[in-house]
Order: sequence, then C-alpha cells, then structure tokens
Amino acid sequence: MSLKDTRYFNLRRNKLGTETEKIEKIKTGSLDWFWFLFPSLLLIVLFFFLPVLITLFVSGTNMSSSTGFHAWKWIGLSNYHKIAIHPETPKHLWLTVKYVAVTLVFFNVGMALVVSLITTHIARGAGFFFRALWLLPRITPTVIYVMMWKFLGANAPYGVFNQLIIQPLGLTPQDWVPAASFLFIVLVNGYIGASFGMIIFTSAIEAIPKDIMIASLVDGASFFQRVRYVILPYIRWPLLFVTTYQTLSLMTSFEQIMVLTDGEFNTEVWSLWAYHKALQNYWGNFQWGFGNALAAILVVIGIVLGIIYMRYFKFDELVQEPKIESL
Amino acid sequence: MKRLTILILLLALPAFIFAGGQKEAAKTTGPQTVTITVWARANNVEHWRAEAATPAAEALNEELKKEGKSITVEVKPVYDNTPWGQYKNKFTMAADAGEGPDIICSGHEDVPVWAQAGYIMPLADSVSQIQGMYPQFNDVIDSLWNAGMWNGKIWAVPQDTEARPMFFSKTNLKKLGWTDAQIKGLTEKINNGQFTLDDLIKTAKTAIKKGVVKPGYGFWHRPRKGGDFMQFYYSYGGRLYDPAKDKLVLDKNALFKWYKFQRECVTSGITPKNYIGTEWKIWHDTVAHNNALFWNGGIWQWADWKTNYLNGDESILFKNVGYALIPSGVRGVKGNTLSHPLVYMVTTEKASGHKNRDLVVRLLALMTTKDINTKHALESTHLGILKSQMKYKPYLNAKFLSSVTYMLNSNWYQPNNSYYSQWFDIVWNGMSAAENGEKTPEAAADSVVKQMKVELGDNVIIK
Repeated sequence: MSLKDTRYFNLRRNKLGTETEKIEKIKTGSLDWFWFLFPSLLLIVLFFFLPVLITLFVSGTNMSSSTGFHAWKWIGLSNYHKIAIHPETPKHLWLTVKYVAVTLVFFNVGMALVVSLITTHIARGAGFFFRALWLLPRITPTVIYVMMWKFLGANAPYGVFNQLIIQPLGLTPQDWVPAASFLFIVLVNGYIGASFGMIIFTSAIEAIPKDIMIASLVDGASFFQRVRYVILPYIRWPLLFVTTYQTLSLMTSFEQIMVLTDGEFNTEVWSLWAYHKALQNYWGNFQWGFGNALAAILVVIGIVLGIIYMRYFKFDELVQEPKIESL
Repeated sequence: MKRLTILILLLALPAFIFAGGQKEAAKTTGPQTVTITVWARANNVEHWRAEAATPAAEALNEELKKEGKSITVEVKPVYDNTPWGQYKNKFTMAADAGEGPDIICSGHEDVPVWAQAGYIMPLADSVSQIQGMYPQFNDVIDSLWNAGMWNGKIWAVPQDTEARPMFFSKTNLKKLGWTDAQIKGLTEKINNGQFTLDDLIKTAKTAIKKGVVKPGYGFWHRPRKGGDFMQFYYSYGGRLYDPAKDKLVLDKNALFKWYKFQRECVTSGITPKNYIGTEWKIWHDTVAHNNALFWNGGIWQWADWKTNYLNGDESILFKNVGYALIPSGVRGVKGNTLSHPLVYMVTTEKASGHKNRDLVVRLLALMTTKDINTKHALESTHLGILKSQMKYKPYLNAKFLSSVTYMLNSNWYQPNNSYYSQWFDIVWNGMSAAENGEKTPEAAADSVVKQMKVELGDNVIIK
C-alpha cells in the first residue's frame, strides 16, 4: 500500500473501524471519490468537453446563415485547408502570439507579481488600499471601462490625452487608439488581467511561514534576495497556475478588443477572427463552420501550451508529497 | 443505494422545473386573437419601421369586422438600435429556434441568405403577381421591387430607400473664395462628371492651406464600416455583380484605384490619420456644425443632425450644407449613389412558430400606405417608396426629400447574393489597411484578390 493510502486510513480509522475493514473497503472499489467529484465533472463535461465536440463537428461542415442549422453539408477538413492557405492566417497568428506574450509578461504575471510583492511589504492598510484600486478595472463593466479608454485617446478636441498632454506640449493631436492600437489592447487587457495574479500571488506570499521570512532577514538577505531565494520558490505553484490560466485566458478572450477596436487597425487576434467569422458579420451571413474551425485550432493550441507549461514548471514535482513531511 | 437514489432525483429535478406546460390548444371556433410581431432595426427617428404595424392593425381589424370575421389582430412592434450584425444575429438565432418575429425589417441583402435558410417565405412569383395582390403593393415604385427579388421570386416588400450623397459646406466654400454661382453649380458639375474625386482632393487641400478648415478636416468620409465605401469603388468603374451569371465580381483595377484614393486622402492631409473608427457622435458633431469641407453620408442623417445636433433648426442645414451625387473617379462619367432599401420580409411558419401567414401579408399591405410611409420618410429623411407619394402634399412639402429624389435616377443597389457579406468584409478590410497605411494600396488589392480566391472560390469573377 502506498504512503497515500496509509495516510487516508489513519484519518478515517475512527469511522471505518479496523484496518482490515478499511482494506476491504478499498478492494471492493468504493466510488466515494467519484461522487465527490461528480458536480465538477458534470460542469466540465457540459461546458467544456461537449462544446469542444460540437465545435469539432461543426468545423467539418459548411454551416452558415444561408444553410441554417438544417441544410448544411459535411465537408471534412475543407475549412482547415482554407485556414492553412488563407493569406491572413500568418497575420492573425503572429498578432495573437505577440499580444499574449506581451500582456502576460508585462501585466498578467509581471505586473501582478510586482504589485503583490510591493503591497505585501508595505503597511497592511496601504497594501489593501492599492490592491483594491487595482481591482477596479476588473469589477467595472466592460463597456464602461473600454469607453473610458476610448475617450482617453479620442481625437481632438475630445480625448483626455489630447487635451491635457498632447496639445499643451504643442504636439499634433490625433485619435490615439488607432495610432497606438497594439499598445492600447495590451493596456486595456493588462490592467484587468494583473488583478487576478495579484490576488493569487498575494495570498501565496502571505501564506509563506513567517519564521522562514524572519530567518532570511536575520541572515541579512536583501529584499531582492528574499524575493529570488525565498518567495519565488515558495510560490511556484501559483506562478504555474496564473501563467497557464492567463495564457489560455488571453488566447481566448476578445471582448475588450472587440469593444475597443472591433479588430480594426491590425488588432484582430485569432479568437476575434473566429468570432467575427462565426457570429458577427455586417451583412449577416455568419460562417459557423469556418468560425468553428478557427476556434478548434485555438483549443488544440491551448491544450498543447497547457502540457508544455506543466512540464516546464515540473507539475509532477509540485503535486508530489513533500519529502520533508513525516507520517 | 440511498445515495444513488438521491443523486438521480437531484439530476432529474431540472427536468421538472424547466419542462414547459402544454401549449394551449388552438381554438378552431369562436373569437380569435392573432398576435403579429414586427421587428425593425431603427433609432429614435426611424421608429415607424416597426410602429407602422399599429395603425395598420387598426385598419385591418376594421376590415375584418366588416367581413364578419371574428379575428382580432394585435401587434407587437419591436425596434432596436444595435449594430446591424448583432441585429441579424438575433434574428438568425430566433428564427432557427422557431421564435422569430412574423415580419422582419432588414436590408434587402438579407433576402438570399434568409430565403436559403428557410426563414422567410416568397410572397409572389413575379412583380405583376405581387402588384395584383393588394392595391398598396401596386402603388410601390416598380423598380424598387428589384431589391426584394431573388431567384426569380419576390421575397420582400420595400419599406424605404435612400440616397447617399456627397455633402459639402457651402459656408466654407464661400470662405475659400467660391462665388454663389460656383457653389450652386457644384452639384451639377458633380452630377455630370465635371468635378471628380481628384478635384475634391485638390479643393480640400487648398481649403486647408488657406486655413478655411483645420488640417484633416477637408474630407470626412463615413467613419466606420458600411456600404457607402462601395460608391468610391463604383466611381472608378468597379462593379459588384454579374446578373447574367448570378456571381459576384471583383474589378482589380477599380479596386486598386479606390484604395489609392482612400490612401491619398490621408497622405494629402485632407482626412486625419487613423480616422477609421472615429466615434459616430464625434463625426455627427463635426459635420453638423460645419467643421469639415466635404463629407459623405446618407440622407437619413439630415434628420439626425437637425433633431439631435441642431435643436430642430433645419434652416441651419439648408444655409450651410450642399449635396450632390458621389463624384466620379473618371472625368466625364456621371456621379453615382448607393441606395440601400430596407425591406419587410414575412417569416415562415417554422421560423415564427405561428400560422396565419395570409393575415400577416395582409397586415404588411396595410403598413405600405402613403400616410404611414410619409410619416417615416419625413421624420427620418428617407425617400418614399410609393408612386402616390410623388403627388402627396406632405411629402412634396418636404424640401430636402424633394430635392434629393432625383438621385434615384443614378442609384444602384448592392447585390442580393448570399456570398456578398464575405465579399464585402474582405474588400473592407483591404480598404482599411490601405487607408491606414498598414499595406500599400497595391499590396492591399493583391491580398484582397488572394482572399477572395480562398474564401469565395468560384462564386466570384475576378476581372
């Protein structure tokens, strides 16, 4: 029997009686674990696996507004072939990679870590206040939040940047959203994304045993040494989680970009391209089959990236029993 | 076992909660109330698109009473101002679920898409057949039936039409040194091809140089996606559709020239850099207050400017604003204008979940009267669709509408082809990239051709 099973039995000894009875229970295949997991499994099946299957199925058809849901035809891999030879595919792909990488590094993980490190090393009240400020973009309704950014960058005589900074400096005012479209989509998404990592990292940093932190101070470690040798190793698991989650989230999210630019000015990331093709068309002929094929590719990339991250962060090691723990 | 039983009951619970009750059995005898829903995409000045159903229902109920029928028609007019794509998405989902409206008002280009999907029903096999159905249909301007025609049948009844002029600031032209005669004659010159798009650029550049308008305010085209841009493609000889082959057409040469024009507007400084995407409110505010020299839009915006930006004072617009067809790109060739008729379509029983299609068509006929249509035309500055409106005093008294009606002699429609939406998206993306400088006009046009071949294949003829 493994160490895990032994620990389980130690905890359950009173309820289950003798060790023999417990072993018998295991051997007869208790399904307790299944029933505990069932609600979550049901949600995952209904809201992930089934939609993935439907997406894959529809991607093999020519379903569109003009076929409706009843007069479509099976076309196999034709939509995928179309994507492979489409002249705009490299552009959307490269833009998505750039957008995810920059936003992740500078905001969703980077800024989140910086904010959580700073706010856990200042007065508690001040730390709480600044973390609350950083939460504001996340809790503001998307349309209002994006409209604020639009009017920050709007053309003269409108626009806060133009009125308060550009024109007083004697520079030429313009509509800054199209002029610096990539920067704007990174900023708009990054300010929201940073708050998620900030919450997770803050909790993880505050959970580090106080005696470890005090010991490092006693040993004369500087702030940066403490961060590098104590804090970062302790928060490896939250780092893996936030990095993986935020990568997938950025890859699949498009609502802020849609409200801000609707994909204009070279900001149509892959997920927005899929949305436009499948669900938004000026003249109303939605290409469900083609859009689903674009979305299916995103699912595959997401799964591959998830596996790569888990290997890079040594997921197996992270979920093993700590070697220092005793029975 | 006990736990399994409880779990099964918990899982089955939603089935009891969400199971609908039995639908009421249809009454076959006795008084009936038939509810007819009308959806329209409209803003606050275009509400008659949906609300035409209300007076029409009153008239229908009177007729039914006189005929001795115990049917009462109630109507539910619904109008919303969401972007076109979202409006059509809403209808598509509803129709496929069997919960669509009975009458849907939308662009004529939706006819082939929704007809193929089985959401709308054909109304007649020919123009003469539909004209013979009701006197109101016979009153519709003959050429407008083309907008509702697809695959040889009539699928839709025109609701309104419009023209999309080139507007210009008479006040600013005067400041530029133009005489009253020259300003008055500009409309004629544009219409006859003596003032081209190149002349527009030159005039706007001069106006900026002389300080009449600020840099970037020489030409404010439509700021966001829309069919208006096709007028410039048309101005350079581009055509969209081959009716003989029922296929879309792409003219590479016209496309390149159009893209070059859009880019030149920015490089010459008459249109701001990164202009596409400007908020509609900013655009309306700018042009309604005479801050641009040239701008192109739609006649329905006249009512919008008057009501929402100029406190209802139309005289300001007549004093400051002139209008003409869209100038040609080729000297000597007449100007052009795009019309985008909105049409009423009747949904199928399957799409609406209701029967009584004959009653719905009858209601539609009563919505197509000169009283109702003129109210819509005047309030929203769209053009009338009925022959009788051309002699109807309230319509004739509308100075602006009367003065733009001639544009219908030079108008054209976008094609009723189910691949047009993809064609348009590709061409629009290319234009946006060319104007913004993301690609050169030539590279943008080449990319468009490649995309057309991949996405549309044999459904487009590339010239």
